[in-house]
Amino acid sequence: MSTRVAAALIGVVFGAVLSWSGMTSPEVIREGLLFGSAYLFLFSAAAVATAFTGLYILRRKAPPALLTGETVQWETDRPQRRHVAGSVLFGVGWGVSGACPGPIATQLGQGIAWGVPTAVGLVLGIILVRRLQARAPRAEHVQARRDRVGGFAHAGAPDRAAPSRA
Amino acid sequence: MLHAQLPWWIGGPILGLCVVAMRWLMNERLGVMGAWSDVVDILAARRLSFGPFGWMLFGLVAGATAFALVAGGPDFHGYGWLTDTFSGTGGTLLVVAILLACGILIGLGATIAGGCTSGNGLSGNAMASPASLVATLTFFATGIAVTLVTEALIS
Repeated sequence: MSTRVAAALIGVVFGAVLSWSGMTSPEVIREGLLFGSAYLFLFSAAAVATAFTGLYILRRKAPPALLTGETVQWETDRPQRRHVAGSVLFGVGWGVSGACPGPIATQLGQGIAWGVPTAVGLVLGIILVRRLQARAPRAEHVQARRDRVGGFAHAGAPDRAAPSRA
Repeated sequence: MLHAQLPWWIGGPILGLCVVAMRWLMNERLGVMGAWSDVVDILAARRLSFGPFGWMLFGLVAGATAFALVAGGPDFHGYGWLTDTFSGTGGTLLVVAILLACGILIGLGATIAGGCTSGNGLSGNAMASPASLVATLTFFATGIAVTLVTEALIS
């Protein structure tokens, strides 16, 4: 099986579960952030705990990846200013709209028109970052050097074992 | 039955297993923001050769469509507190403008922070990444603060 097919299948499962669990609904997210329901926090904690356990075992065993054969391994980042600054911007958008990249995609998939303006904004946000990166090559070099010192690939795709995308 | 919310102790672990599957199959970090970026970057280069991340996004959309078909359409009326607060034609336009602005903040912020709720919040924390933990605490704290402030403003 190709990695594309496998990733698409993982996406189907992810999208169906996000939809069924109500994460597509901004009201469910808002209810969680207002501490009106524990569902959002319990759901997130269960997801992280499961993933953490699985990855812990994978990291210890470091097997070859089933489809690509490369050794399963990764490096992690040290916290930098961009992780905080970016997450503040992200948190404002998330708090007001009750949507984030996954639920925006599942809203579109369910045929919910309210997902369109959020999705258009998301795409514009990515384009904006790319423009800023192109306009400030010097800043990018500084960032790239910092990233090398930090021991990971490049801004926008950290925590990856190898910078496979330019 | 499908309109009932999937219990958290079933839905959460399945998402966690998706992260494990992505790592075990192809040694990649599951992140939906990265999936959007893959599609946008490849389209911007006027190509259609999407990578695994782009295909994951298409799968995500297809999974949601399949769910809506099985469940008999989306269980969605208005857009939460935004359409409750701003009604009428002018209100709808305002909500569209607000959602567009939120989308820009989400795309900009998650790209700068190197991940969103899935990339940093789910996968990054599971990878024991200190940067992801800081990012997650930051966006949860910001999200909670913003929600509380908007709730206070409208009530």
